[in-house]
Amino acid sequence: MRKGIYRRLARMGIQKNKKLYTPSILTCIGMTMMFYIILFLSISPAVRGIAGGDTMQLILRLGCYVMGFFALIFLFYTNSFLMRRRKKEFGLYNILGMGKKNLAVVMFWETVYVAILSLGAGLLAGMLLSKLAELCMFRILGETASFTLSVEWGAVRGTLLLFAVIFLLLLANSLRQIQLQNPIALLHSENVGEKPPKANWLFAVLGAVLLAAAYYIAVTIDDTVTALFVFFGAVILVILATYLLFIAGSVTICRFLQKRKNYYYKTSHFVSVSSMVYRMKRNGAGLASICILCTMVLVMVSSTVCLYVGAEDSLRTRYPRHVNLDVTLEEPAQFYSDEVQELRSETAALVSQEGAELYNVLDYRVAGFAGFVTDGRAWTMDESAYNSTEPGAYADAWQIFLVSVEDYNRLMGKDETLNEGEVLLYTTRGENYPEDTIAIGSGEPYTIKEEVDDFADNGIDSMQIIPSLYIFVPNFEELAGQLTELLGVGEKTAAGTDVVSLHWFYGFDLSCDQQTQVDITMAIEDEVLPAYESRTGCSVLCEGALMKRTDYYALYGGLFFLGVLLGIVFLLAAVLIIYYKQISEGYEDQSRFDIMQKVGMTRREIWKSVNSQVLTVFFLPVLTAGLHLAFAFPLISKMLALFNAVNTRLLILTTAICYLVFVLFYVVIYRVTSRAYYSIVSGSREERG
Amino acid sequence: MSILEVSGLKKTYVTPLGANRVPALKNVNFSVEKGEYVAIMGESGSGKTTLLNILAALDKPTGGQVILDGRDLAGIRDAEISAFRRDNLGFVFQDFNLLDTFSLEDNICLPLVLAGKTYQEMTRRLTPLADRLGIGDILKKYPYEVSGGQKQRAAVARALITGPKLVLADEPTGALDSRATDELLTLFGQINESGQTILMVTHSVKAASHAGRVLFIKDGELFHQIYRGTMTNEQLYQKISDALTMLATGGEL
Repeated sequence: MRKGIYRRLARMGIQKNKKLYTPSILTCIGMTMMFYIILFLSISPAVRGIAGGDTMQLILRLGCYVMGFFALIFLFYTNSFLMRRRKKEFGLYNILGMGKKNLAVVMFWETVYVAILSLGAGLLAGMLLSKLAELCMFRILGETASFTLSVEWGAVRGTLLLFAVIFLLLLANSLRQIQLQNPIALLHSENVGEKPPKANWLFAVLGAVLLAAAYYIAVTIDDTVTALFVFFGAVILVILATYLLFIAGSVTICRFLQKRKNYYYKTSHFVSVSSMVYRMKRNGAGLASICILCTMVLVMVSSTVCLYVGAEDSLRTRYPRHVNLDVTLEEPAQFYSDEVQELRSETAALVSQEGAELYNVLDYRVAGFAGFVTDGRAWTMDESAYNSTEPGAYADAWQIFLVSVEDYNRLMGKDETLNEGEVLLYTTRGENYPEDTIAIGSGEPYTIKEEVDDFADNGIDSMQIIPSLYIFVPNFEELAGQLTELLGVGEKTAAGTDVVSLHWFYGFDLSCDQQTQVDITMAIEDEVLPAYESRTGCSVLCEGALMKRTDYYALYGGLFFLGVLLGIVFLLAAVLIIYYKQISEGYEDQSRFDIMQKVGMTRREIWKSVNSQVLTVFFLPVLTAGLHLAFAFPLISKMLALFNAVNTRLLILTTAICYLVFVLFYVVIYRVTSRAYYSIVSGSREERG
Repeated sequence: MSILEVSGLKKTYVTPLGANRVPALKNVNFSVEKGEYVAIMGESGSGKTTLLNILAALDKPTGGQVILDGRDLAGIRDAEISAFRRDNLGFVFQDFNLLDTFSLEDNICLPLVLAGKTYQEMTRRLTPLADRLGIGDILKKYPYEVSGGQKQRAAVARALITGPKLVLADEPTGALDSRATDELLTLFGQINESGQTILMVTHSVKAASHAGRVLFIKDGELFHQIYRGTMTNEQLYQKISDALTMLATGGEL
């Protein structure tokens, strides 16, 4: 009987606080479900079995850690909110004669009930939906899945373990809070007289400065490598600045407005401004969290969607033809040697033997090196600069390729003629070469006849994190031989790699089905290339686009999939924070609302004022998130360029769509939660009749 | 000339399904002259709060009439009622009803801000009033920083700052200790002497003994009234106590 009473008290506690517990339990269910699904996919043998599945599982395993960590933080937040509202009830029990030990037992049972409910429902939902997630994933990888439902006991165990630990921690935290308080403090914990928040100019200004700095960094960086280095720095700055501005900045602004008497003492400003001070003090941190979560969701979803949608393009950039041969030559004399011609004809013979045709041939030579261009002269990078990890070290670095103008004309279908001492120039990644002339090392400067706006893709270029500079020259073979001399360096670097590398690119598309494509690629790799390599001593890299495609989709699809899953989780989190914020404000505003009406504010005036405050508080985070996103855009597009996703229009489109969808979703949440808020606020009057 | 006239006032509460009709006020008639200080006494459940709510236009009567300064409250449209209340009535409540997000100064100025007055006008009215009420030097403080007596004086200042025709006080000493009660009642006396009409609802004999006239209400009807005449507070106190005893024992007066 005694034991029964604790359990009944625990059940009653949950039922009586339905408004608070329902969303909390729903979140637990959601978190459990998501965690199970991600864990399930990351260890499911069915997923491992498909092509690209292992890459996908690697990404998903990372996602598991993110998800677990996030679940911990988030459930703690929810719990602290519940505790704040329930302390009064516990204080009452305490005064009525329940010791802290008895309270601990009640809390233990409450935790057990919540845990059983949310883990049970969460796992069940997870098992059901994991099949759906699996189907989606198979679809992304271009495979078809069976429709049998399977349960991964390893994932169940992992999920149970993680959430059992989280719930234990939550219980410990709640007990700690009960233990520290005396009953009177517990009883009055809800309505302690609150000091009016002070304006903190220092933090407000600091926040503004940090934000400005982060934005400045984001928009002024123009090379990809530096972008990669500063990205996390900028993110941390933005997070700090957001917290400072929401917590200190908002209060400071309200305080400043209150000082301006003629502004403040107006019907439309008076109540709103003075309430906003308190509202922002209490909710600043929560709002900043919402804002940052929103930004994260938006960045993550829009960039992964962009990557996934643009996968085909970047695949074509990285692997320009169905079959791509990259032959590294030892000396310039080999560029036009018989062996090279032989390799061509052997390949062609093999293709026709398989009954296919070879078309869209990409055939050109380059001599390249990595270096800097200063004052119109290209120099090679020295070793220290090459391995530098300092931001900005790569700011003026280029991958420089020399190509003969004949190859250029043939590939691009142009008819350019160059005089002695003239060159054409092409730069990638939208970079600009500012000078009129360019010289290679100590050589004579060439006049740049024209900057052309296109050239054939090549795999090396697309893998570089620095932009490329193509110089189309009339005397290619000659110049290629003189390069090391002109640059004033030895043939090998200290690390033993070639300073100047000579490549012959030979790529073509095949007119046959996919299986034959794979067969031909394998045949070239196994039969033609070894003979050639032993004949010439050159090394050849053979890449088939089709075979790489699965890897590509595994990586991009994996990121996309994880982006969407985590996006959903973050969105859930944002919804919950918003809901709790509305509820807690509702309770706080209840009495205030009542007094204002007695003092002579009309219901309409009160609604108007409350509404404007709620709107401000509600849409401030999402607007700030939009601003962050806009400023982060240059950085994101630079980072995505590393993945060969250089389609800025696509990125703008996905970002804008993500933002719009998000705002739409947000408005829906707003409408639903405001109803809860208004029902609480007006509840007090209706009760009294 | 009477500033408030109440005639044939009725209020009947009906349970939601209309099964039960509970009369709170049956037939209340009285009037208050300009500059009068009237206390209404009665036990809990006697209908005094209902009466005050109707006078404050917070509630509507089932029958009868309330005329404030020549205007029938029933004739005021809903949209105007808040503005009417703001301009003509001042309220003092048992639990002060100060907004904790405002300093005392801002709490007092709230009705003026709502009426759209300028800041200069507000300070012009506030300074002398605050000095008179002895809260001139704590105006910048917040409600949680001051004592109950000081809070109630700030609430009185808020009621008076619009220069209302009638101040309605609902159990104003209910939450105060005896010293603060004495101070507040003295203050009410002074305010009344300066010409302000006050109508106070209370069940404290002490509070009522400061009024010029005391009305007794029982079971929704006015039962009895005592005029101060030339009595001192102590004499009036005695008289009220006697009347209450009679009321409780059901004896004839």
